[in-house]
Amino acid sequence: MREITLREALNEALKQNLQRDERVFIMGEDVGCFGGIFQVTAGLMEEFGPDRVIDTPISESAIVGGGIGAALNGMRPIVELMNIDFTLVCMDQIANQAAKMRYMFGGQMNIPLVIRTPSGAGRGAAAHHSQSLHALFMHIPGLKIAAPSNPHDAKGLLNTAVSDENPVLFIEDKMLYNMKGPVPEEYYTIPFGQASIRREGRDITIVATFRMVNKALSVAQELLSKGINIEVIDPRTLCPLDKETILASVRKTGKLITVDEGTRCNGFGSEIAAIVAEEAIECLQAPVIRVSAPMTPVPYGPTLEKFYIPSEENIKEAVSRLMGYG
Amino acid sequence: MLEIRYFEEKIVDQYARGNVPGLAHLYIGEEAVAVGACTCLKETDLITSTHRGHGHCIAKGADMKPMMAELFGKRTGYCKGKGGSMHIASLSLGMLGAMGIVGSGGPIANGAALAAKMRKSGQVVLCFFGDGASNTGAFHESANFAALHKLPVVFICENNLYGISVCMTRHTALKNIADRAAGYNMPGVVADGMDVLAVYKTVGKAVEAARDGKGPTLVECKTYRFRGHFEGDPNLGARYRKAEEVEEWKTRCPIKRLKEYLLEKKIAKRGEIDHLEKDARERVEDAMAYANASPFPEGRETLEDLFA
Amino acid sequence: MATEVVLPALGLTVEKGKILEWYKKEGDPVQKGEPIFLVEADKVTTDVESPSSGVLSKILIPVGVEVPILTVVAIITEPGEKLAAKWMVEGPAFSTAETSAEPPVSPGERPRAKTGVPGDRGIVPAARRKAKEYGVDLSQISGTGPDGVILLKDVERVLAAESKISVVKASTLARKLCEKEEVPLKEILGTGIRGRIMQADVKAYLEGPTATAAGPPLGSTMPMSTIRRVIARRMSESAFNAPHIYFFSEVWLDPLLQFREEVLPVFDKHFNLRPSINDFLIKAVALNIADFPMLNAQLKGEEIHIMPEINIGLAVAMPEGLIVPAIPCADRAGLVEIIRHRADLVARAKEGKLTLQEIERGTFTISSLAQYDITHFTAILNPPQSGILSVGKTDEKLVLVEGQVRVKRITRVGLSVDHRIIDGTTAADFLQHLKWKLEHPAFTFMSL
Repeated sequence: MREITLREALNEALKQNLQRDERVFIMGEDVGCFGGIFQVTAGLMEEFGPDRVIDTPISESAIVGGGIGAALNGMRPIVELMNIDFTLVCMDQIANQAAKMRYMFGGQMNIPLVIRTPSGAGRGAAAHHSQSLHALFMHIPGLKIAAPSNPHDAKGLLNTAVSDENPVLFIEDKMLYNMKGPVPEEYYTIPFGQASIRREGRDITIVATFRMVNKALSVAQELLSKGINIEVIDPRTLCPLDKETILASVRKTGKLITVDEGTRCNGFGSEIAAIVAEEAIECLQAPVIRVSAPMTPVPYGPTLEKFYIPSEENIKEAVSRLMGYG
Repeated sequence: MLEIRYFEEKIVDQYARGNVPGLAHLYIGEEAVAVGACTCLKETDLITSTHRGHGHCIAKGADMKPMMAELFGKRTGYCKGKGGSMHIASLSLGMLGAMGIVGSGGPIANGAALAAKMRKSGQVVLCFFGDGASNTGAFHESANFAALHKLPVVFICENNLYGISVCMTRHTALKNIADRAAGYNMPGVVADGMDVLAVYKTVGKAVEAARDGKGPTLVECKTYRFRGHFEGDPNLGARYRKAEEVEEWKTRCPIKRLKEYLLEKKIAKRGEIDHLEKDARERVEDAMAYANASPFPEGRETLEDLFA
Repeated sequence: MATEVVLPALGLTVEKGKILEWYKKEGDPVQKGEPIFLVEADKVTTDVESPSSGVLSKILIPVGVEVPILTVVAIITEPGEKLAAKWMVEGPAFSTAETSAEPPVSPGERPRAKTGVPGDRGIVPAARRKAKEYGVDLSQISGTGPDGVILLKDVERVLAAESKISVVKASTLARKLCEKEEVPLKEILGTGIRGRIMQADVKAYLEGPTATAAGPPLGSTMPMSTIRRVIARRMSESAFNAPHIYFFSEVWLDPLLQFREEVLPVFDKHFNLRPSINDFLIKAVALNIADFPMLNAQLKGEEIHIMPEINIGLAVAMPEGLIVPAIPCADRAGLVEIIRHRADLVARAKEGKLTLQEIERGTFTISSLAQYDITHFTAILNPPQSGILSVGKTDEKLVLVEGQVRVKRITRVGLSVDHRIIDGTTAADFLQHLKWKLEHPAFTFMSL
């Protein structure tokens, strides 16, 4: 199968959706003429015209709110917020409006809106352009959240997001845009709420998100030679979350590590640990370890940022600690 | 202006070489605005800046050594390597911070101005923002609030005609952003952002008015950035700007204009100007040397400075 | 001074670029700021300007080659300056641009939560559950985890071999005597308070080992060992929960005994092994279960689980109680394998070196008292199994065969089953077929 980058996979998905359904349109800052700040929408305005790929002013609330209104009134908008950091500027529209309107109005209306947004650190973009805020959104009922970790899943999940009748926050790890992988050419979907066991193992379960999945796989491969057999699970969607796959794995191994780029307190790892503590505690043979970013904003300088982002070393330290429990 | 220009040019080179991580949004072409405006200020006055903040920093009196060090991510930088290009600040200089979130400076400038009013400190706050930012909710809220309370703030819109790739005609319904001021019951003025003296005069009046308690002014400086939105913007913005347009604006280079003006009016001699240029270049080289020699912070330092 | 021209950093996510066109040739003069080459990265093309004025002395990376950003692609020298030797390499030179000193890498200690409450010797949840289920006394266990935390494997170790863990209580004199006489302390039955081993007990042991085998004297009290407690609990559980029904059959053992005698020398010579009757029994039972899978079933809640593997357990008598290690997949194992397994498991059972898995995997048990003068007995099921075969002694008997009196060696075997899931006809059928298998060894054991 041909291999393309995650960016290209998303571009292809967007293109195929624009082709299949004339109700689909894209809206965001610099998505049209510039092709998106990360080139994800490159070429789309040229092909589909400025009426379907719309450049907006710098008005995040207007962008998301606009998407909500359009979705209510018969369209299927895909809006973009240039960085997940900017969701904080229009949090009201996302959390109070998009997430709640269907519920508040007793199920009268559907809001088939997709909000695409890049997240993650790694290139010195510093505090306002590097956050990983998905945990915040996991806390808001009414929002689905997709979290692809590779090109194949990215395309499939985006297609599912567009076809979903509910608001979906589609988060793209900006450091994965260049990642290459096999992607089918045709249109296909990946169901939400279905985690992927990326690597089977026996001794330790690692649940990781976004780019951290690849780091976990790398560590698992390396430690195999030391006789440690690690199972790596990629949730793929954070809401709905496939907790059954995670629980089954923890029941098998008895040992759990979560790896996530969000900050520590109330991060993704915290929720997984809580679920396990509630539903499978008697299977635990060792403490649950959360590998996460520290409780600070993302620092700028390279030495500081390197310390900040969870590394393979950090994962290995966690594994080492767990192996002390037999 | 020379310092800003040479500093930014140095960053072009250093960024390309990978010594400046992250993003760099350079001020080349817009020097007149920062310099013209900040020259009106007293040392105690304050400014809020944008992601394109190097010019404001230097104009407000920043030392290029810790600035360059900050851009390199070194511990000796203004923000100990934690902020970088987009988040440089120096409280002692009255520079309240460059910001990565467009439009976020307005409410903060207002707050500082409010405090100045409450403490009767006589300070004035300059709030720099761009044409793109003038469309954010935060801007509108700030404008209304400042006018309502007659805060000692001057809103300086650096209209360089583009919000990244989107030309003003495609993002704003108005021709002049200054026209918005009427909607908030404050004076709105347009100035030639490529003419440092014009900026100086216009902003000077606004600053005086603010200091006298007459409230805010919206000063729109028509200017242009000669390079792309960020370093790495292909062909210096050629994807969304025509080369002829760029060339046309380049003929209005503020440094070139001031030079010509000074020589023409015989206010300065060629030799003096040459000396200024040489001096500025040397200072930039010194800053480079300083930054290169400075150490990086230890990884653990990431955990410091969160709380007081 | 020469200037290195690099493939510049081109924005946040660009990692590589390809030069599409050089606007200048080697030797051409260049001006600072003048575009000197065209680069393509992530499908976007952009001109790159010269960082200085001078002469483009050397192009290091030609058109069409993709290189990482920051690679030195060309050298500009001042007019009249000679190009340094190191750049005069033919073909692509992938040397990276000069950068400032490598940033020091801190190992990145991440702040961690503390394990457990200080002062409280912790136990991991899985271990606690296992201990509770099997009635293991946690105070007897020393944890091998960090800070002395009791781990799952610590509890499992106890269950597999109780004697290693429980502290043997003995008087100082008794210990000294044991040391002197080189007698293992744990072999001795204590008659002191709470089973404490006294000097007299050691003396008694030295005088007559069989005395201890006869059991503790009248009037003595001793605490139940862990194993004994586990056995007691499981036996009660089994007896109370599973209604047992019992079936007996008399098996004519001569053919098997003869078969064994015939193959014995062959086995001895070729495999250095001596098959016992139990080995044949294990195999025959396993094969029989393959025909009657219900005997391999276990009741779990409301569901009957027919276990996928036939693992035959052989009861081994130990001073502390009965231990039943299981031979795995006995239906598929060759006889050699069964013999080896059986010998190994029994030996380790006697040393207390079995793993819990070796015990827990059993799906059916054979309990033999053939060496005793017991004709037959009713065995209690080994939970969660649903069937158990008891084997009595082999006796010569006079039997009538078509009116003729014959002497046959007969063994009584008994089958106990869990009547909740196995009814009479199935059990009877099973036993009948087993008898046939045992009485026709050549046919039964054809696939050795």
